[in-house]
This record gives sequence, C-alpha cells and structure tokens, in this order.
Amino acid sequence: MARLQLTNVTKRYGEMKAVDDVSLDVANGEFLVLLGPSGCGKTTTLRTIAGFVEPTSGSVRLDGKDVTDLPPWKRNAGLVFQSYALFPHLTVSQNVAFGLEMRKIPKADMPARIAEALRLVRLDHLGERLPRQLSGGQQQRVALARALVFRPDILLLDEPLSNLDAKLRQDVRVEIRELQRKLGLTTVMVTHDQEEALTMADRLVVMSEGRIRQIGTQHDLYERPADRFVADFVGRSNFIDGTIEAPGRFRSGGGLEIACGEGRTGTATLALRPERVAVLGSDAAATDNRFEGRVEFLSYLGAAIDLHVRISHAERVIVQLPNRPENAPPKIGDAVNLGWNRETARVFQD
Amino acid sequence: MALAKAAGQRDEDGRTSILSASTLVGPATIFVCAGLLLPLLILFRYSLNRFEPRRMMVEALSAENYLKFFSDPYYTGIFWTTLYVAGLCTVICLVLGLPLAYALARTQTRFKNILIVLVVLPLFVGNAVRAAGWMTLLGNKGFLNVTLMDLGIIDAPMQMMFTEGAVIVGIVAVNLPYMVLTLQSVIEGINRALEEAAFSLGAGPYEMTRRVLLPLALPGLLAGTILTFILGMNAYATPVLLGGPKFKMMGPLVFGQFQLNNWPFGAATAFILMSATLVLTATANILVQRRYRR
Repeated sequence: MARLQLTNVTKRYGEMKAVDDVSLDVANGEFLVLLGPSGCGKTTTLRTIAGFVEPTSGSVRLDGKDVTDLPPWKRNAGLVFQSYALFPHLTVSQNVAFGLEMRKIPKADMPARIAEALRLVRLDHLGERLPRQLSGGQQQRVALARALVFRPDILLLDEPLSNLDAKLRQDVRVEIRELQRKLGLTTVMVTHDQEEALTMADRLVVMSEGRIRQIGTQHDLYERPADRFVADFVGRSNFIDGTIEAPGRFRSGGGLEIACGEGRTGTATLALRPERVAVLGSDAAATDNRFEGRVEFLSYLGAAIDLHVRISHAERVIVQLPNRPENAPPKIGDAVNLGWNRETARVFQD
Repeated sequence: MALAKAAGQRDEDGRTSILSASTLVGPATIFVCAGLLLPLLILFRYSLNRFEPRRMMVEALSAENYLKFFSDPYYTGIFWTTLYVAGLCTVICLVLGLPLAYALARTQTRFKNILIVLVVLPLFVGNAVRAAGWMTLLGNKGFLNVTLMDLGIIDAPMQMMFTEGAVIVGIVAVNLPYMVLTLQSVIEGINRALEEAAFSLGAGPYEMTRRVLLPLALPGLLAGTILTFILGMNAYATPVLLGGPKFKMMGPLVFGQFQLNNWPFGAATAFILMSATLVLTATANILVQRRYRR
C-alpha cells in the first residue's frame, strides 16, 4: 500500500504525444479512475505506472521512491488485464501461486496464502480448475486474486469489467470496490465507461488527447465540469452556442435571449443537463428562462422519458422527465413550455 | 457445388453424404496409397530378400540384411554419426531459431512480410546450388581461407570443406527456416498480455520464458524439432557435397546401395533409417507431452 505520484509524465511516439504532461497524486488507499474515450492516453498512463511503457520525460514515484527506470517485475504492482491474461496451462491455484513463487515465498506458507486469496474472491472451491473451465466472471476474479495475493503496493485495473455482461458487471463493480476498501489498497483503474467510473471511484481523472481535462470527485465533474469535453463526456449536456451580449444576457445562434450566470461578453457556449430543465405547466412558478417549443422526438427509457424539444430554428434540447404517474408525458408534436434558472446552465468560454 | 453439398451434410439419406465425403478424401487417399504405402510395402518385402553378386536379388524371407547392418561397426558407425549430426543440428536450430522466431512474431513493423521472406530465402536456392555456395566460402582456396591468409592470421589454408563441421553448418542453414517459421506461427498465437502478466507478477525475462513462453510454445517447439530432426536424419545432398567421399550418413548410404544394385540391403537400410526416425520422434513427443501435461 502506497502513495503514487506521477510528475509531468509525457510519452511520445514519433510526433504523436500519447501522454502529454500528466501529473497525478494518488493518496494511500485511494481509488482513482482514469476515464476517457479510446485513444485518450489513459491506458498508456496505466502502462507507464506498471512499467511497460517508459515515459519520454517525467517521473513515477511509489511511496516517494522513484521507480521510473524500474522494469515491471521489480515494481510490486498488481495488474488485472482486460483479457484477464490467466496462464492457460496452469490451474487456478498455480496461477495465483505464480506471484508468490517469483517472490521466493517459503513453500510452506504458500497454500495458506493461496487459499486466503481465493477465499477473498469466493473461489476457494475451484483451485484445481483450469482457466478455460471457468466462466468469464470467475476468470476475472482469479485474475484479481492473482494480482492481490503477493500484497502489491498498488493495484492497477485495465478495463477489468469490459468483457463481462451488463448484469454481472454491476455486481462486480461493487465487489471490487468493497474489497479494495477492505484491504485499503491504492488503486488506479482505467475505463471508458462513465457509469463504471462514477460507481467505483474516490476521484476521477478525465483525459482526452493525452492530456488531463479535469480531476475531481463525481460531484465536481458533474456539477462543475471544467470544459465542454467534460460536460459532454460525464453525463449528458445540451450545448447552445452563441454570444454573451451583456453580463447575464446570452444570445443564442437561433436568436433566443437567455438569462445566464457569470461570463464576460463574447462567444460562449451554454451547457444544460437534460434533467435540470423543467417542463412547465400553465400554473408553474416563474423561472429565469421560459421557452415554448414543440416535441419532435420522444424516447421512453423506463425510469425516465427523453423529450427532444425544438425551441428555435437552430436549437433543439433534450429534456429528461422522471417517469411518474402524475407526469403524463406529452406526445410528438405537442407544444410544451421549458424553463430553467440562470444558474442551471454552465457557461464555457475560450 | 459438390463441395458445398458435401460440407452442408444436408442430404436426405445418409449414404449420399458419405459418398460426397469420400469424393473429398478419396483422391488424396489414393495418391498416398499408390505413391507411398505401396512402394514402402514392396521395399519392405525387398529388404527380406537376399543379394547375390551375380544374380542380384534372390527371393527369400530372412533378416540377414538387418543383422548385417547391426553387426558391422562400419554401418553402425554411420548410423550413430547420422543420429549425432541430426540431433546436434536440431539443437542448434532450436537455440538459433527461438530468439529469431520470437523477434519475428512480436515485431510491429510493417516490413514483417519482407522479414519472413528473408527467413525463407535460403529455401529458394536448391541444395546443389547452396552447397556450391558453401564451397566457394569454405574451400581451401575459398573466401574465408584466402581472407584469413591475406590478413596474415593463418599461414596455410584450414581444412573446412569435407568435414563434419561443414555438413552441420550446411544442414543447419537448410533446416533453420523450417524451425523459425514453425515457432513464429505458434508464438504469434500466444497473447502478449500473458507475457506482461508474468512480468507484472515479478517474473524477469528468464523466468517468464521458462514458466510461460516455453510451455505455451511447446506444440510449436515439438513440431519444429521433429521437422528439423527428420530433415537432418534424411539429409542427402548436403552430406554428399559438403562432407565429401569420406563422410558418411544414412541418406547417401541408402542411395549408394541402390546404385550398387544391392536392393535388399538398400531397402533394409532405408527401413532402419525410417524406423529410427519414427521411434525417436514418437518417444520425444510422448516424453515431452507427459512432462508438461497438467
């Protein structure tokens, strides 16, 4: 268990910067998630921590010790691969034993350690099986046990859930998170799945094009996204392009005058979460903004209903209504009134 | 159409599908029977006959050709030389081929196909032409000797042609591409993440190779070893051309007997060579598989 620090890590492949000046400080016992679309540099960052990628510049420190030049086998990092990478010619127990044998743990202590690790992932009865005789979920847990058994300083998870089916994935998320908390393991996970990231992380790092866009808790990212990319990638946002004509007054591309929060005059983009826009009844209290629009598209999602409402020739916004009996949903073609307060929309300016 | 029908197996009665299956397997089976099994049977029958210098082959049913082979140190000597040369060449191919095959399998370059062609390139040249090439290199007035003498490193030419060493170098050069290609295709099938998993668990390159790469590449190692061993045991042109008249191996011996019109003894020698090769490869196969089966 350790603190992990990355300082100005850059990895160049020719002209391309896969990782561009990334600095991170992961506290002891913290669960950090690197989130971003494919090709954003999150996996390269993880592989740099594991020692498979040598950074072009910058340093990696574990518990204050510089490990930048150490090969992977001297780093004491437990790694779980997307494909699990279980050794197909070894049994479950032998897979788990591998890390112990490499560390020259006395033979006498091994059975107990292996059993303990397998018990941790609730697979103690399957030690003699070969990996191919296990289900995907079981293989995933063997991979986890194999990475934990030698008590690594840090646990690295590379899209560990992407090969599981949706239902199982939700259970395993909670399972991994509880295990990590129980063991107090410093953990870095890579994923492109924002729901997974939001469920599991203490803090999240949103990356794109090799750079860190924002670091923060779930709440920070959702309520105060640093830029348009984060607002779009974490949760959903309606974006309305236009200009701020005077403090608090925004003119959209479609000509709507919208009351907004802070911002200097000039080009700007408003970001509006679909669930923060209200569909107003005729007797509703006044809001800072109120626009009449027409429902052009509707999708029924079960727990909620998405309305696509055109409010000007250039702007169509998505509104999410909670699906409650008292909210009789409008139909396509209906006229509705949308309202939101000025602080609801976030303003992005270059 | 016929192919589609056979593969589809959707015929109404079973007999037609058996018929169409036999049309697929048939030609190759007939070819193998007529071209390989039949001559072998005939040859085996010959090996039990007797040879008399005047009358050539005489009908008989005796094991005397086999007894003659194993009781004469001249022939058993050739047998052991062949085994030794084939075995040593196989080991050298394995040691040289594995790193090359690994590098070839793991390279990311877009010139990979060109690299593979380069590995196969020696096979584009016939045995005789290749041996002529070795002669110009290893001969008493060959490139190596002349260069070494010009540089003043040696005074008189070293005997390199017509030695066991020349034969081993020659056979390795022919067999290496087979070993490399076999290993390369197997290593390519091993997920790279498995190697990385071993590294992340604390295994250095040596332990990773021993514990993960080699066991997983075992089918390829076995196939490559068997292939190069068989080729080595049966080498003909290389020992004749690079070994010279005094260096004897089984392949040239068999053919030599046929040239002397001694078909019975030639046939017996051929069968000894074939049996030894078969038994050794089968034993190796069983031993290795048992050792690594889990």
